[in-house]
Amino acid sequence: MVTYIIRRLIGALLMLAVVSMVTFSIFFVVPRLAGVTATDFANRYVGRAATQETVVEVAKKLGLNDPVVVQYGRWVKGIFVGSEFDYGSGVEHCPAPCFGYSFVTKKPVWPDLLDRLPVTLSLAVGASIIWLLAGVAVGVLSALKRGSLFDRGAMIVALSGVSLPPFFTGLIALSLFSYGLRITAPGGAYTPFSENPAEWAYNLILPWLTLAFLNAAAYARLTRAGMLETMGEDYIRTARAKGLKESTVITKHGLRAALTPIVTIFGLDVGILLGGAILTENVFSLPGLGKYATGAIAAQDLPKIMGFTMLAAFFIVMANLIVDLLYAVVDPRVRLA
Amino acid sequence: MKKRTLVVAASGAALALALSACGGGDSTTTPTGEAAPAASAPAGPTGFNAGLDAVTNPSDKKGGVLKMAVTEDWDSVDPGDTYYGMSWNLLRIYGRPLVTYNPAPGAKGRELVPDLAESLGVASDGSKTWTYKLRAGLKYEDGTPITSKDVKYAVLRQLDKTTYVNGPTYFNDWLDLPKDFESVYKTPDVNTDQAIETPDDQTIVFHLNKPYAGFDNFAALPATVPIPQAKDTGIKYRDHVLASGPYKFDKVEQGKLYTLVRNDQWDQATDPIRKALPDSYEITLGVQGDDLDNRIISGDLHVDIAGSGVQPAAIASVQQDPELNARADNPIAARTWYISLNPDVAPFDNIECRKAVLFAADRTSLQTAYGGQLAGDVATSLMPPGIGGWQKIETYPSAGSDEAKAKTALTACGQPNGFETTMTFRSDRPKEQAAAESMQQSLAKVGIKLTLKGFPTSEYFTAYAGKPSYMKENKIGLATNGWGADWNDGFGFLSQIIDSRTIREAGNYNLGIKDPAVDALVDQAFAELDTAKRDALWGQADAKVMEGAYVLPAVYAKGLLLRGKGVTNQFITGAFDMYDYLALGVE
Amino acid sequence: MTAPLDVSSEETKATPEAVVSGLGGAKAIQGRSLGQIAWMRLKQDKVALAGAGVVIFLVLVAIFAPVIVGWFGHPPNEFHQEMIDTMTMRPKGGSGISSEFLFGVEPQNGRDLFSRVVYGARISLLIAFFATMLSVLIGTVMGIVAGYFGGWVDAVISRLMDIFLAFPILVFALALVGVLGQFEMQLGVQGDTLRILLLIFVIGFFNWGYIARIIRGQTLSLREREFVDAARSLGARGPYILFREILPNLIAPILIYATLLVPANVLFEAALSFLGVGIQPPTATWGAMLSAATKYYTVPHFMIFPGMAIFITVLAFNLFGDGLRDALDPKSNR
Repeated sequence: MVTYIIRRLIGALLMLAVVSMVTFSIFFVVPRLAGVTATDFANRYVGRAATQETVVEVAKKLGLNDPVVVQYGRWVKGIFVGSEFDYGSGVEHCPAPCFGYSFVTKKPVWPDLLDRLPVTLSLAVGASIIWLLAGVAVGVLSALKRGSLFDRGAMIVALSGVSLPPFFTGLIALSLFSYGLRITAPGGAYTPFSENPAEWAYNLILPWLTLAFLNAAAYARLTRAGMLETMGEDYIRTARAKGLKESTVITKHGLRAALTPIVTIFGLDVGILLGGAILTENVFSLPGLGKYATGAIAAQDLPKIMGFTMLAAFFIVMANLIVDLLYAVVDPRVRLA
Repeated sequence: MKKRTLVVAASGAALALALSACGGGDSTTTPTGEAAPAASAPAGPTGFNAGLDAVTNPSDKKGGVLKMAVTEDWDSVDPGDTYYGMSWNLLRIYGRPLVTYNPAPGAKGRELVPDLAESLGVASDGSKTWTYKLRAGLKYEDGTPITSKDVKYAVLRQLDKTTYVNGPTYFNDWLDLPKDFESVYKTPDVNTDQAIETPDDQTIVFHLNKPYAGFDNFAALPATVPIPQAKDTGIKYRDHVLASGPYKFDKVEQGKLYTLVRNDQWDQATDPIRKALPDSYEITLGVQGDDLDNRIISGDLHVDIAGSGVQPAAIASVQQDPELNARADNPIAARTWYISLNPDVAPFDNIECRKAVLFAADRTSLQTAYGGQLAGDVATSLMPPGIGGWQKIETYPSAGSDEAKAKTALTACGQPNGFETTMTFRSDRPKEQAAAESMQQSLAKVGIKLTLKGFPTSEYFTAYAGKPSYMKENKIGLATNGWGADWNDGFGFLSQIIDSRTIREAGNYNLGIKDPAVDALVDQAFAELDTAKRDALWGQADAKVMEGAYVLPAVYAKGLLLRGKGVTNQFITGAFDMYDYLALGVE
Repeated sequence: MTAPLDVSSEETKATPEAVVSGLGGAKAIQGRSLGQIAWMRLKQDKVALAGAGVVIFLVLVAIFAPVIVGWFGHPPNEFHQEMIDTMTMRPKGGSGISSEFLFGVEPQNGRDLFSRVVYGARISLLIAFFATMLSVLIGTVMGIVAGYFGGWVDAVISRLMDIFLAFPILVFALALVGVLGQFEMQLGVQGDTLRILLLIFVIGFFNWGYIARIIRGQTLSLREREFVDAARSLGARGPYILFREILPNLIAPILIYATLLVPANVLFEAALSFLGVGIQPPTATWGAMLSAATKYYTVPHFMIFPGMAIFITVLAFNLFGDGLRDALDPKSNR
């Protein structure tokens, strides 16, 4: 087991390294190939009133003329020991872990990311609880009452749910509940849970529901399919034949087996979500990681995009790792694979 | 450069809206709602546009929290590093420039009054030397006295445009700086007395490299807000701005929240212009635009700092609801939205082809694109009507288009069947996108085929539309553009956008005005000491630009602003064309 | 497409007889190909057929957009500001819906919403189809190669899949379109063509991981099957086995996942357009229309029509895809 964990950990780290290299090349190599020069990059760090000499000088000081490999090495080094950025008007220190220094806001990226994380975390945790509970409950009920009016209705709603983009449902919800009826928050605001839990929930309820609706629909479909499959298995028949109560058969034998794949997918979904619910955050103007990312992209603020991508990839890789490890605990065969 | 407008990312980059900043005094259009009777009730005038020329809800009552909000952050609260009109207006509650604008409604708000200085500047040496004496008893929030050396340091400090990238460059261009001076950080030991002298702690003397009779306008720039060298932390200073005004920063959470409380070291006796009514200010940043409007409507917030008008959704409510309509003001701003024509690219090197565009563009459609009648009046020249020397130029249509004349011009240009060209716009500004689409539609009617190209605001001027080499290489003939006055006279509006000698490698708002006749008029205006004659010269320069058909003016911007519930002394100042933030109080 | 389906009759997992008798419609028991069986099952699935009908309708709408708009609408980019109240910027009468403007007009510029929704179908479907083809192409090749050759080839490709699955795809696509979109000169194309190619590439390129994983799994199991062994023992070599023996058996899963990938890509394209990096104005896309509608939340028709267009398209593909899966994969039960 220990060797398995170590192997997986090393794999995860390698994966992050590769993701960072690919990301770095896309933002720093592709533009180079297309003819963007070091001074063009430097232009982003200096003001509009800078003279050409200043730009060239800053490009040199920031090492933008160095080979990309050297620049990448410097970036990685910054994560572990921090870096210094010299704009020619004083040195800016970016303490470890330094995931870059934004030339637009003149701030290190990492504290910004940490600052946005609680918003995304609140959104992801709240929404995922809602969709997991709602999706599984509806899925199980549908499977048990297969063919009933409830089943058909639920499946129609679920299929619609997976076919609706969150930026459409979110908009409709906003104009109905926030601007029309004025019973929910109009978005844009976030209150930390520690400050005022009620306001925290009030501000997040609509984004939670929008995001949960989309995923609950998918989970209901998955759960239903899973339940139908397991309830048809031989061991369920055996359990029934033993004279166990139907409720025990469903919960102890049916549900447990049907839920294993759901939990796997759940882990991965939450991992992806932690990296920023880009669409939901943008529709509701929530100041989370996803909004941060779209803002950075609009401003072509490469250090921010880099930092964000790494954090998002980190969450996905971690979610994969955790799911794999849990699997290994549950099913010993996996370790040997 | 120009005083910037705030861009609101309503929800996501794509949804950003352009808000115009500065505005100008008198509005001529009255929307559907009834204008209020001009009766002088004891509580001051009320009703639509009441805040344009009078103080609404006047009161001297002190106390309360003034709640302000803005959809996004602005560039910086550091007085040496900001170029937003709203920021210039607001920073005067915590910082005192040498000179500032009279907190009074309408045109009176454009008058300059001494602030840190005892009186307006005293000129000598044919307006090349300007002397100011500081008031006695001035102190920072920490109790240390404010000296003229701090003012000098503050002005010199912000000349370093690689650190303070945002502010204007007037002092860089006009001060008689020694050749070997680079910045206060790189060359701290260079003697700068030839540019600014401080013979004693109360006196400061500016030496210019050419005469300028309106130097008080420079002295009113935020750059003259004093900063003691010992407290300067470079770019980080914005986290700890040292107050010289009646309020000091309490909480500073960049991008989220600022709170300001009373500065007990500020002495009312040294300050004849500030009433300092509220006990504190609460400034929330990043409020969603529609939410912000709704909260001002309900009274939960007092002021939208951006001062450029409500979002499209609220525009309809303001017109339909008489109660809201009575709380609204619709000032015209000292800002023009225009479209630059690029004479570097064929066939715009031919004046007739430029004229064809000016005749073919549908002005009414453009006005609608920029937000309709409440968002702007059709422009006939670059310079907005609130500025001295303005004249209406009737060469081109001021409603609809003139296709016949456009076709004549096309024939004269040798392109009777039209031509193809490209137009850029700021992709995150729906109004500019609509303007570009409108141009595409109306020019197509005379055979001019436009290809549209959007670029993000953040790089629009530095990498694309403001970079002549890019525009030339990519054969881009037209570009949406906008400019607001740094202060409301011909110099403050025109000097940076029509003088060909200010065109740099990148970051230009002037693309095609490269006319020796215009440059000559600019020089004449710089040298002219008489205000009326100077204004007339700027008016002539404006006319000359239109004669050359270098730009297509679209609209003179207006904003639909809402007065807050329970806010006292709210009025539009002619200096910034938004509510004056020095005078406000709460009931 | 139908030819390869017929090839695999001997190797189908389910016995045709059982299926046919299950359907009860067959007069006599006879050998049927998987394709025939699938078609029979599909014919029974009314919901899937409805989905297919809508899909065909949408494709026709997209192809004949100019004709339809010529009959029932106005050119999609044409301004109709006479329909707009210039004080409020809203359409006169709220929405402007009339026999002349079936879906009403856009606020501010008065463009015909019907025409724009119809033209939006072109962009949406074009990008979704080609991006799907790209993903399927990459995914199938990668999956087969990894599954068939195994060993280090499999290890490398599997890692690559993991990496692609670990990317925050939406952000990446956003950033990439932003970066690449600036190099019109170097890429040699511009305008809508550039954007469409870019979106097809970005959407297609990042979505092959999932399909590759499925194909790899299928190939792994097929590789060990008797008929492959038989072919091998008869002296067939790698390419022959890959393309003549294994690939035909993969047609079913490829078809299923391709059909289900199309709606996902429709949503992806809409999301990119919504976030402002899709096709540039004035060309109509559903996502960009929704994005513009956010400013006018008091004008409901502006968001309803493009939103419903996305919904109906995605739903139709999902219904059809579900039905196709049930028909082609007898093991799956609903």
